[in-house]
Amino acid sequence: MYEEPYKWVEAVANRRQYLDDQFKQGSPVVALAYDAGILLLSVSKGTPKLYEIYDRLALGGMGHPADLEKLRVSLLEMAHVEGFNRSPSDVTGSRMVKYGIAPVIKQAFEEVFKAPFIVKLLLAELGHKAGKDSFLVVNYDGTFEEGTSCAVLAASKTVEQEMVASIREQMSGARSLEQAFDLALRTWALGDRLQHKTVEEPSRGSSSGQPEDTEAVPLSAYLLDRVAEKTVECALLERNLSGSSKYRALASNEISRLLPKDLTPPIV
Amino acid sequence: MSMQGDFYQLLKEQGYQLGAPVAASAGVEIPTATTILAFKYRDGVLVAGDRRATAGNMVMYDRTDKVLEIDRHSVMAIAGVPATAYEMVRILEHSFKYYRRTQLQELSFEGKLRAVSKLLKENVAAALSGTGAVAPIFAGYDVEHEAAKIYFYDILGAEFEGVEYAVSGSGSPTIRGILHYLNTWGEQPLNAMPEEQAVIHALRLLTSAAEFDSATGGVNREANLYPVIKLITTGGVGAVPEATLKSLFEAKVVRHV
Repeated sequence: MYEEPYKWVEAVANRRQYLDDQFKQGSPVVALAYDAGILLLSVSKGTPKLYEIYDRLALGGMGHPADLEKLRVSLLEMAHVEGFNRSPSDVTGSRMVKYGIAPVIKQAFEEVFKAPFIVKLLLAELGHKAGKDSFLVVNYDGTFEEGTSCAVLAASKTVEQEMVASIREQMSGARSLEQAFDLALRTWALGDRLQHKTVEEPSRGSSSGQPEDTEAVPLSAYLLDRVAEKTVECALLERNLSGSSKYRALASNEISRLLPKDLTPPIV
Repeated sequence: MSMQGDFYQLLKEQGYQLGAPVAASAGVEIPTATTILAFKYRDGVLVAGDRRATAGNMVMYDRTDKVLEIDRHSVMAIAGVPATAYEMVRILEHSFKYYRRTQLQELSFEGKLRAVSKLLKENVAAALSGTGAVAPIFAGYDVEHEAAKIYFYDILGAEFEGVEYAVSGSGSPTIRGILHYLNTWGEQPLNAMPEEQAVIHALRLLTSAAEFDSATGGVNREANLYPVIKLITTGGVGAVPEATLKSLFEAKVVRHV
């Protein structure tokens, strides 16, 4: 069936389309550097999307929970064996992604007879000094990108680009935890709204002026609507946390303190 | 299915072996000897250790840290062959983190104790051959049960609970009696002592051990060398700063005759 090269190319293209469809209903993930470290945020319906990988490494994921779990465990195994056999300083996000997880994801994606990983990953690495943080995003086909101040996961490249552009526009100088949380939550809402817009648009056809109406709804009202019955999940990599592990998931009372006032009641 | 979140198992699958039973050849002096102690005080557990590593008559090193933080709420003080002891600490540190990160919950205090026993049992052959004997003290704060706990082990991996205190190492017989005396007939039992009082007693105990055991290092004021003392409370593990040890030593430990 796929013995001819062009058929393989066609199969891969079909697979790309299939995977793009799978992410349309997913919840975006936002990670950005702030003055005390890195903040990661997502909004989920129960299954967590943010995880601790190693002393200075945090993971955010989008996609199928079982695939995410599988890759999370291989990252954990890799990081801990490497950290034990060499040293914790040798466990870097870049090595984990480039020589560990990206080739595995790419191989699964291109083996058209087998199921691909329905997953997009974001690995945030806390630097020893401010400004030395690094962010890696791995796509479902194994391609990856590196950044230094922020990274996001969303259903499509376009949405991701808009989210990053919006963060960069509003990100200036030192940023407190409160400001970082606020920016991350608004970026999440922006991404989520853009994703839903692109899902809804084709079904409406070209005749309606609806998309503009959606944009007219203020972001805070949109958030209130989308976040109801879901959980805001937030984790930090804190540079000044005592001990070697720098990862800390925010407790629900801390999250409710950081949430905009009009959002507080329905979530907690 | 293998045991979930077991880092040691993962290491073994990769061909790792902890203690190979190698017989110590005659004439080879292996660094050992120590004094470590732990006792419960008002706010939690105090764990202390001298800083000398010896091989036979020779002092190998005078700045050893034998009181090692394994995670935010537990500490292992080591007595015995340092090479094996440090390796065990490294395994435990990675194991507890690996468990928490894979299973998304902390390993229970009992689970941590089992992990220590298991490593010691795996090491029995090396311990008996003379190249890898370790007799540690494991102390921590059991967050779930809101209680400070102390356990000590023999080189075969038997686990004993130190209800009030525990000691290990070559200098320990000297201070075991003192701890019993203090706890039974002192002005107040050990577990009622405030932090400062507990630290003073730890310094006095280690100084006494050094007085009678050549393999235990005392305080060396010229070199600004003090024992390592760590406190474990609900808030986690903290080391008593050297400046505090110095001032307490000078005010309350030095004999003014």
